[in-house]
Parts: sequence; C-alpha cells; structure tokens
Amino acid sequence: MSTGDVFTNTAERGAYGIRDFSDTVALRVTDPAAIPAQRAPEPEEAAPAPARKPGRDRYLDLLRALALVRVVVYHNFSWTWLPIVFPSMGVMFALAGSLMVRSLNRPALSVIRGRLRRLLPPMWLFGAVVVPLMILEGWRPDVHHTTWWWGDLAYWVLPFSEPPFGVPLDTFGGHLPASWAEQICVPLWYLRAYLWYVLLSPLMLKALRKLPWVTLLVPLALAFVINSGLVDQSGRLMEAATDFTTFGSCWLLGMAHGEGLLRRIPQYVVPSLAPLVLMFGYWWLMRSPLDNPRLGHDLEAVPVAQAIWSFGAVMLLLHLSPSWEQWPKPLERFNGVISLLNSRAVTVYLWHSFALVLTEPLIDPLWSNSFFYDHAQWLLASQWTPLVISVPLICLAILLFGWIEDVAAKRRPRLFPYPRRSKGRRRNR
Amino acid sequence: MSRSRSQRRRQSIARPRRLAAPPLRFFLPVTVLATLLALMVLRGMANNEVFHDQDIATSVDKATVPTSVLEGGPVVDARGDKNKKPVNYTIPDKTVVLSFDDGPSPQWTPKILEVLKKENVRADFFVTGSMVTRNPALIRQIVAEGHQIGLHTFTHPDLALHSGTRLTWELGETQLALAGVAGIHSSLFRPPYSSTVDALDDWSWPVTKQAGSEGYLTAFIDKDTDDWKRPGVDSIVKAAMPDLPGQGEMVLMHDAGGNRAQTLAALPIIIEKLKDQGYTFRTTAEALGTASANTEVTGYNLWVGKAFVWCTTFSVGLMPWLVALLAVVGVLVMARFALMLVLSAVHVRRVRKKGFSWGDPVTEPVTVVVPAYNEQECITNTLLSLAASDHPIEVIVVDDGSTDDTSAIVEELGLPNVRLIRQQNSGKPTALNTGVAAASHDLIVMMDGDTVFEPSTVRELVQPFADQRVGAVAGNAKVGNRDTLIGAWQHIEYVMGFNLDRRMYDVLNCMPTIPGAIGAFRRTALQQAGGMSDDTLAEDTDVTMALHRAGWKVVYTEDARAWTEAPVSMKQLWSQRYRWSYGTMQAMWKHRHAVLERGPAGHFGRVGLPFVSLFMVVTPLLAPAFDIGMVYGVVFVDAYKTLAAWFAVMALQAVCAWWSFHLDKEKAWHLITLPAQQVVYRVLMYMVLMQSAITALTGGRLRWQKLKRTGEVGLDVTTGAMSS
Repeated sequence: MSTGDVFTNTAERGAYGIRDFSDTVALRVTDPAAIPAQRAPEPEEAAPAPARKPGRDRYLDLLRALALVRVVVYHNFSWTWLPIVFPSMGVMFALAGSLMVRSLNRPALSVIRGRLRRLLPPMWLFGAVVVPLMILEGWRPDVHHTTWWWGDLAYWVLPFSEPPFGVPLDTFGGHLPASWAEQICVPLWYLRAYLWYVLLSPLMLKALRKLPWVTLLVPLALAFVINSGLVDQSGRLMEAATDFTTFGSCWLLGMAHGEGLLRRIPQYVVPSLAPLVLMFGYWWLMRSPLDNPRLGHDLEAVPVAQAIWSFGAVMLLLHLSPSWEQWPKPLERFNGVISLLNSRAVTVYLWHSFALVLTEPLIDPLWSNSFFYDHAQWLLASQWTPLVISVPLICLAILLFGWIEDVAAKRRPRLFPYPRRSKGRRRNR
Repeated sequence: MSRSRSQRRRQSIARPRRLAAPPLRFFLPVTVLATLLALMVLRGMANNEVFHDQDIATSVDKATVPTSVLEGGPVVDARGDKNKKPVNYTIPDKTVVLSFDDGPSPQWTPKILEVLKKENVRADFFVTGSMVTRNPALIRQIVAEGHQIGLHTFTHPDLALHSGTRLTWELGETQLALAGVAGIHSSLFRPPYSSTVDALDDWSWPVTKQAGSEGYLTAFIDKDTDDWKRPGVDSIVKAAMPDLPGQGEMVLMHDAGGNRAQTLAALPIIIEKLKDQGYTFRTTAEALGTASANTEVTGYNLWVGKAFVWCTTFSVGLMPWLVALLAVVGVLVMARFALMLVLSAVHVRRVRKKGFSWGDPVTEPVTVVVPAYNEQECITNTLLSLAASDHPIEVIVVDDGSTDDTSAIVEELGLPNVRLIRQQNSGKPTALNTGVAAASHDLIVMMDGDTVFEPSTVRELVQPFADQRVGAVAGNAKVGNRDTLIGAWQHIEYVMGFNLDRRMYDVLNCMPTIPGAIGAFRRTALQQAGGMSDDTLAEDTDVTMALHRAGWKVVYTEDARAWTEAPVSMKQLWSQRYRWSYGTMQAMWKHRHAVLERGPAGHFGRVGLPFVSLFMVVTPLLAPAFDIGMVYGVVFVDAYKTLAAWFAVMALQAVCAWWSFHLDKEKAWHLITLPAQQVVYRVLMYMVLMQSAITALTGGRLRWQKLKRTGEVGLDVTTGAMSS
C-alpha cells in the first residue's frame, strides 16, 4: 500500500486528481483526460529508485531509534523533563502495535508464536548471563518461601510477570552497589508488558474493529480506576495490569495506525485534540504528589499522567506519519546509526542498563589516579562521563549478544549490522 | 483515499521549508512581543507577582544533615573547601545581632532605622529583591547608616520546594537589584521560612549547601521573636532575651510584610534591656570578626545592576497604561461579540421572515465574469458548475495572460454561452474591467477561477437587485477543502465571517468588502464607482467602498453559496492575508475623505470606516498582547487562574462560532479545532498586520507596483497550491 502511494506522489507534479471531499463540492477536475496531455507527469526522472527492501518506513525507524536513545539518556541522567519531551515507552509500544496489526492478517496463533520467538531468545541470553552472576554474588532461595522462589524463576523463561532478581547482593568485592541486579533488571518490565500485549492483540484488534473509539479509550479509563487508590496495586498481577493499562492506549493507537483507522478521520481532528490531551496529561502530572521537590515531577512515576501524555504524543506522531521510503536530506547522515539501533533494538534496550552499571567500576579507579584527581576532577564527577563510556559498552553488547536477534528472526547472524555506505549515495569514486 | 494520504505526506515533509519566510518579517513582531513579555516579568518581579508561590515545605527527616550543623551556631559556612564539611559559627558571648527580614518597607523600615540610629545600634537587614527594586532609597539609607545587607531571595519562595537553578536565579537577581540601587553585593544569605539550625531537614539542607557552594554564608537564627504573628510587645521582648545570661544571640524580627507597630515598640525595650545586661550590638560580620559581607561593585556588574533597575522602573510605570489599553480593547471585543450576536439575529429575522422578498423575482439574464490566471486545474469545474446554473447566464472568461493551458481548456470544453477573452497579463482588476466591458447584460456576477457555484447560486445572488437601491450583493463563500487543519481553520473563519460579520455589516449598512469569490454588481453602480481599480491590492474592498460613497446599498445574501478552495499551506495563507490586510489598509486610506462627506458617503465614513479600522487593524494588532499576558500568567503567576480565564474567553468565542454554524446550517464538528485556530490566527494576523504596517510606512507602493507586474499577487495567491 505505502509503496503505491509513494510512486503516485513523486509522479504527481500537476497535483490534480480525485479528491474525497465527502460533504463538499468537488473543486478539482475529476477527469484527468480533460487536461491536455502535454502536462502529463514525467515519471522518468523520479521513478527509478535504487533497489532495496520495500516497505521499510524510515519515519518509524527514526522514532524507534529516538526512543531508544532517549531511554539510555534518561536512565543515565534521570532528567525529569526528558520523558515529557519524548515519551519513549509509549512510542515503542505504538510502533510494536502497528507492526503487530500488519502481521495479524495471518492466523493469530502463528503470529503470536512468531513474535515470542523473536522476543524471548534475547531475554534468555540476558538471563543466562545475569542469573548466574546473581547466584555468584549470593542470590539464594528465600528461606521462607523456597518453592515460590523456584517457581518465580520460571518468569526468566516466560515473562508473564517480571523476572525476579536479588536485592541486596554481594558487590563483586565492592565494585558495584548492592542494588546492582535491580538496576540491571530495570528494562525487564517492558518484556513482560510486551508479552501481554502480544497475547491479547487478537482480542484487542477485534474490539478495535468493532468499536474503535471506545476500545482506544478503555485502557485509559482502566488506568484511572487502577491508580485511583481504590484498588490495591500490590502483587505481581496488579503490577502487570498497571503497566498494561498505562500503555494500552498507545499500543491500540499503533494498531489503529496499522489498520489505517487514523487516516480515515479528517486530518484536522488529531492536531486539534492532541494538544488538549497533552494539556490534560501535564495538568495531571503537576497535581500529583512530589517525591523530591528539587527534582520536580517525573512522568515515569505517575502512571495516569504517563498514559495520557503518551497517548497525546503518540497520536500526534502517528498523525504526522509521513511514511518515508527514503531519508529526508538532513537525516540521511544518521542512516547508519538508526539502522543499527533498529536491527539491534532489543539488545540495546536489554543491555544498556548493564552498561550503565558497569561504568561505575570503570570510572571509580580513576579517582585514585593522581593525574585525573589533580586535573580532571570535573570529568570524573560529570554525569556525561558514564554516558560516553556506556556507548562503547553498548556496542560491545551488540557484538557479543546482538547476533541472537538475527537467529531469533531466522536471519543470517551478523556481528555488527552497521550499513557501510548510506544508501543511494556513492563516495570515493 | 490514497490521494489525500499522499497530499498529507507531502505537506508534513515540506512544512519546515514552507514556513521559512524571510526572517525580517518575523523579527520585528517577535522582538516587540518578547520585549513586552520581558517588561511584564520585570514588573511582576518588582511587585512580587511572578513566581509568587506560598507553598511551604513540611518538615521531613534530617538524615542527611550533619549533627555538627544541627547542634552548632546560627551561621553556617559551606563555602569552598568547607562544602563537604560545613562549619557553624556561634555569636560570641555578650554580643547580639539584630536581624530584620523581608524589608525594606517604606512604612516601617524608616522608623526602625530611626530607633537604631538613636540607640547607636547596627543590625542586619535581610532584604528581598522585589522590595529592593521598589524602595531603592531605603537600601541606600540602610547602607549609609552602617547596617549590613543580607539576601533573602527575590520573591520569597520556600527554596526547599524549588530547583537549584531557581536558587541561583533568586540570589543573582537580588544581587543585580542591590548593585543597581546601592552599588553593593552581599555574601550573606538567609533562606525564607528558615529558623534555627536545628530545624534544618533533608529538603532544606541542600539549599544551604548550594548557597555555600555559590559563595554565600547562610545566617540562621538563635531567637525567633515571632513578631509577625503580633503576639504583643511584651511577648516579643521576652522572646528576644537570651536563654542563658550572657550568651551571644542572633535575633529575628521583621521590618515588612504587614503591621510592624509591635516590632517597632518592642525594639527600644529590647535594646535597653540587653544593653543593661552588658550586651553589645553588632552586625554578623562584626560579631564573627570578618570583613563586611557587603562589597562595593564597580564596572560591568554595577552597570548591569543599574540597567536592571532602570528597566524595572520603566516597566512598572508603563504597565498601567498597557493594561488600560488592553482593557479598552477587551471591552471593545466583547462589545463586538454582543453586537454581532444581536445584529446577526436581527438580520436572520429580517431575511427569513415569512413572505420576505426583495421585490419582484429577478429573472433577467446575468453576465458572469471569470478572471483566470493559470487556473488550468480549476477552470473546468468552475465552468461546468456554471453550465448547471438554473438562471439564464452568459459567461465571460478573461484569460489574464496565463502561461498554462487555461485558454485551451476553456476552448476545448466548448460550452455554450461561454466566451473567452485573452488579454496581456495586466492584473485582476483590469481583467474584471475587460469582462464588464464585454458583458451583454446589466447585472454582472464576478467570481474567481477556482470557485464552484451551486446551480441556484446565480439566481439567489441577483434577487436583491429587485430593490432598486441595491448596487451590489455579497454571496456566501464556503471553504471546500476543510478536512486539513489549515482548511478547517479557514472554514471556521469563513462561516463566522459570513454569518456574523457580514450580517452585522448588512444591518449597519456598511459592508466593507464584497468577496472576490462571489459578488454581483449593477453595471450602472460599477460605472459610477469608476469600475475596478488597481490602486490597491484589494480591488474588491476598494470598489465596495466606492459604491458606498456613491450612495448604493450593498447587501448580503446567505443562500447564494460559492465553494472555494482555501490556501493549503501556511505560506500561501500568509501571502493571501498579507494581500488582504495591506489592500484593506490601502483602500481605507484611499477612501479616508468619506469621514467628512455628507449623505450616505458620510454614513459609511463615520460608521463603516471606524468599524473596519478598529476591528481589522487596531484590535488584531493588540490581540497578541493578550496571548503574551496569558504566557506571562501561566508561566510566572498562576497557571490555573490564567488558563481558566483564557478558556472562558474561548468559550465565549465558541458560543459565537456555534451560533454562526447554526445560522449556516453547518455541522459544528470543526469547532473542536477552535482553540488551536484562535492561538495560531491571532499570532498570524498580528504578524501579517505588522508586515503590512511596515510595508505601508516604508515605501510600500513601490513594492506593490513591482508585485503587480509579475501578476502573481493579483490572482495566483488565491488559487491555492496548484499553480506553484
């Protein structure tokens, strides 16, 4: 579908043609034959695009890459304004929902199996590294609930609930804080939420087709109920339910986008409503109680505000959705990074907090180095330093663990899928 | 479907480029608005209106506060190396430091200074920046009499609830003010709502540490007199007495923030009593045996401070005038809303009354003049829609030197009753005149080449000519492409403009413009008005004003609908509006003498012209001041109240808009975009008007002449995207 659009678009210089004005009078010539042939489009110049995989929407790629970068930066700095500027998690779930709906024209079970096949192996690999490390550092079955402890371990295989981790643990001889496992396991909730969305997607799609507007708003309404204080939010089930409702509307928006539902409403509707939704979300955030007044309100800590704000932002981003077959000029140069981040999204997401935790033992010894202590204290104390150091660490994680994404997708495993040359451009020739 | 999708796609990619207008056209308006905002903030700071939050932190744990600090003396030094291990200083025995917070106030501070002078006692004054800017003379007096100034922030917030940036800002601005009024900086700081050191907690301790790292000595207190609660003179005196005889102490009192009569009365008693006990009175620096906390500033810092104080003084003086001006405009706008609602109702009652008619039905044939410049995409539909007319018509297409296939298409269509006249490109007014000259009939309808008529449009449009006084009729132009955001905005604007404004103008008999998209003229009237003229960029407004001056009635007929295609990008909308607003200015200037004329011309000059200039020029020029006021209110003062007020005005506009949609029998769905439309349009119209005004003041005629020769402004702009 999108390919066809793109070609008509590049070809249409005269820009006449059929328009659907619903209740208004057609203003334009509806019959191209009425116009002399001389003005016919000249497809020769524009048409021959370099051969490449069809249907890769670069705009969605850009959003996914931005979301990933934002997550890493946020986990490093804890800037509370960052989730407001770009609500990453909502965007990621919306993109996933959009992809999901495209494959759901196949039988639902096989689609779900396919999704899980691509999601779980990277997590298993992650668990295969992290769980032994935790056991090495003193993670032991709970004395009182031994059976539960062993049972919970199953979540490392199939994350219906968040995989368990130990706190506090030994610290590798004082190199890491006692909460290192907790910090490393921060991204795991996403896999749990993703799993539930995938499992429920066939149902959600049915509901979306039947009652689109109601379905879109149901998760928001549930989020209000769950976070209203009337419901006991403790326990593994409610944890999953809270996250499910927080981003459920984004996932559904993604599905609606994939279904073409968003394109069916008049174009003015979304940009008119989204700012009001955003204002409402912001207001909800501002009226929520503060944890630390000097840091300010954190969107990630207020599920309802997160749900509303993400909904509004995702609505706008998907409305814009320009379906880039090719990069716009200014973005061309980022093609490599964005492609890399997209083909290693799960790896980067899973391992980035590992990398951030590892920066600490890497920087700490430098304080005893007299040169750094005398001349570069600012560097050691800066919050940017761990971010800069985490980049090669994340690249290392891509090298070590990234191949499993290819294996999971039944592709030829690649070590570091950074495209050599930006596409369609020749250099050094 | 696919069509509209790719249409959208194109827009969103290209938007940045399309918005890229010459920077100068934005520079002046943006500068004016930013200056206005800055002045408002300065004034708000001086009046303690901005950031005026009265939230006070509740006390929390003290886990992070070092025990030595909690148990030490009232002055905490966390500067430089001591930041990691802060040190407390105690006031030496037999020494007392009197400190006055929150001032200076013009009512109480002079009296307190008088007492201190009489007793020959020197004290600390912890002043707020906003009081400093308002009472510069008092600061100079305090300094001159040997007292010491400390900072008490600019706006007196509880810093425990705010970011470190805010703390830096509060202290920096206060230093600016001090430098400006007295030429000094102070290194002594007391956080608002602070008390004794043992009251420090996890939230307020970081404030002290940060103040230390920025080079400030933080002065807490030993004895709180609670004088601001006005507990009685005796109570204040008692509270100021030391716990143990001879123990040094820092005493807190207030010289501002309410009635301080008790403080004033207690002060001499406290001084006497303490003197009797053998105490000496010192400033903090003297008591600690250090150099004065107040240092002279020179050079850059001094001048920045002075500039700050000057600007604040200026803005404080200016603001009442501005507020008065805005109030006047606000009242005018409200009055206009009311007038429009009433008069549109009057008009509807009049023309929809049972048995209403303009006179005998007009059945005589009509000439439709269609000026066309590069209209190949639209002209076919235009002509086909005319061919379906249920009124006898003759169509004259005037091809104004098109460079595309407009003429060929017209010829190829070969419709009966359609004549094509080709002319050298010479502008829309000339094309219209050509058409009028060739017209066979006495009633002439003018339309745009991108407009589509309904079958009944021409018939409905000419019915008012049954009244012999009617010289011209305005029809009802409707936006066809109303599904895009910009289209929806213009749809709302058109519906309101035609159903409220034009009905009002009709009743007041001073219609300023017959839209180029759909209007009908009596040939004799046109001849009297001198035909279409190219004196202005808005020939439709020009000729309508000329008709009024010639004594003809100009009326609005709601049932004659024309569907037109509105500009689809901001850039096109901009140039269309620029042409309209500059053209209107030109036309008003051209017909300015009507103000002094007699008869119907005088009526138009004294009712219509002021109306148009007030609501099409003056009000839009001042309107962004409201938006700036809103930004100011939301960001700096009280977001909820401001937004509530804003939405109240929006609701009023929504009522008007809904009423106009109701009158036009349109579905009101598009009104959901009204808030966005209001924000964007107000700014857009302001920018356009500024540009027009600049053009008008700086040799605009020359520029326009050049524009006219390209022929683009005449027509191209209104035709939408397709010819570019």
